[in-house]
Amino acid sequence: MRRKLRIPDLGGARAAILHRPHPTVSALTRQLEAIGLDVDCHWPELPPSARAADYLFIDVDTAHEDQFPWAPGEAPMPMIALVGSEAPGRIEWLMNFGADAQILKPVGDGGAYSALLIARATFDARAELACEIEALRRRLGQRQTVVRAVAMLATRGKSEDEAYAQLRGLAMAWRVSFEEAAERIVAPAPGEETDNG
Amino acid sequence: MKRKIGLGILFSRSGTYSLLGEASRAGALKGIAQVNGDPTLDVAFDPIERDPGGNVDAYAPLCEEILRDEDVRHVVGCTTSWSRKEVIPALERMDGALWYPTPYEGFEASDRIVYTHGCPNQHLLPLMEYTFSQYGMRGYLTGSNYIWGWEMNRLAREIVLRGGGSVLGERYLPLGSTEVGRIVEEIADLKPDFVLNQLIGPSQYAFLAAMAELRHRDPFFGAANCPVLSCNLTECELPAIGAPAEGLISAGPWFRGLPQPMPGNFGRDDFISSLEAAAHASVMMLAHLLSGNPGGEKLPLSLLLSRPEAAQMGLSARTHHSRLPVAIAQVRQGAFHLLRSAPPRDGDPYLTRDIAVPAPLRVVK
Repeated sequence: MRRKLRIPDLGGARAAILHRPHPTVSALTRQLEAIGLDVDCHWPELPPSARAADYLFIDVDTAHEDQFPWAPGEAPMPMIALVGSEAPGRIEWLMNFGADAQILKPVGDGGAYSALLIARATFDARAELACEIEALRRRLGQRQTVVRAVAMLATRGKSEDEAYAQLRGLAMAWRVSFEEAAERIVAPAPGEETDNG
Repeated sequence: MKRKIGLGILFSRSGTYSLLGEASRAGALKGIAQVNGDPTLDVAFDPIERDPGGNVDAYAPLCEEILRDEDVRHVVGCTTSWSRKEVIPALERMDGALWYPTPYEGFEASDRIVYTHGCPNQHLLPLMEYTFSQYGMRGYLTGSNYIWGWEMNRLAREIVLRGGGSVLGERYLPLGSTEVGRIVEEIADLKPDFVLNQLIGPSQYAFLAAMAELRHRDPFFGAANCPVLSCNLTECELPAIGAPAEGLISAGPWFRGLPQPMPGNFGRDDFISSLEAAAHASVMMLAHLLSGNPGGEKLPLSLLLSRPEAAQMGLSARTHHSRLPVAIAQVRQGAFHLLRSAPPRDGDPYLTRDIAVPAPLRVVK
């Protein structure tokens, strides 16, 4: 699939860097400021205020989960890994923790801009995918409701196919999803409960 | 007593873009002569020159050769983006700095480079704005298969689409190719409002000749419709193109005949083109940063550019780009004639500051 790159608005965006004071931090800060971002550096922990950052750079050489005010995989912004050691254990940690792009250390004269673009695109694509999966899960969970709705409609002397078609027709008329129409049908009518009670 | 400082000169005097290299070189040498004869500046430059001959692989080794001399930390040089990128590792290794006086496509802010000619917010954006208001928003994009053409056209496409216009066609030629027939045929069929031409060297010359031929035989193109646009054509290439350049509209910081080229020219305007002027400005600005600043030539660029003189001359310590005026001009009878000018604006290489994308303006035709 050919993806069209949407260039994020980086002017005035906020980047947080979690790395001990080091020439790599100065080189990265210089690049980010030249691009137009505002940069905050943190060490050794990420304060809760860092949640407001638009991008987060982390030092994979020294990073551990306690430094972050969120669980692995749940960072609220695109994350860029600064990779020094390529020891498999560190890469494994990184994969579990999740990052959207990476830059090899030492950071020199370039690399930040492309990492920002890739991280933003990957983060957005991941979020979109998660939304889609959530919606599909919900529909899957409603399968039983659909079966019950079709069965209810079929008891009124219709074939299963006719009941199915009727449900589709209702969904269209109500302008709701198939699953939502099924839910309305199986739900007891508003007056019903009081009558029985 | 003047302090003598070595200054590298790295432009190609042969090859496909030697006209551009020669223009820049002439400007740099003019700057050196002026600095050396100026009693108010306590520095004198000693040029150390190498000629890569248009061969991209020759730039890095020659740059390194220049910087091997202990007294040389600054080089004025490079015409193409490709050669500039090649030179960066050599600058890092040898602790050198490059003054790059040529228009380019942006998206770079090296700590080792000062960019003294225009980037897209100083050429492409104002040129598009002018074109939209005067000719319309249906464009045809063409360029050489090379980073300059690709990136400039990508940006142009974004600007056109955001403004509500359309891109009727987009086609590229291999570097050096003169097979322009198909592109011109397509333009003849599509009749766009403008053609954005990012071709370089012989491809551009052949294209302009074929477009002139089209204007001759098709009344639509003959009636000053559908201008060919450029963001890097200057006076230095006009003699090579001749009559077919007539009508072309170009954007740049200065064209011959305009008063006051760039802040770094310090009032001087005896240049053939903005390429020459920008190279001259580079040398002059460096001299002003080093004068009265003993040992300044050994300072990292970041420190040199944070001096107040840098800001006064329009050099940004943040982006290393220069503040430049904007001129839009058209070739008429062999010279550029000013159509519109705009006050100086800072270079914004990543377009994160003033992506003032032209709104769908009134079309005056």
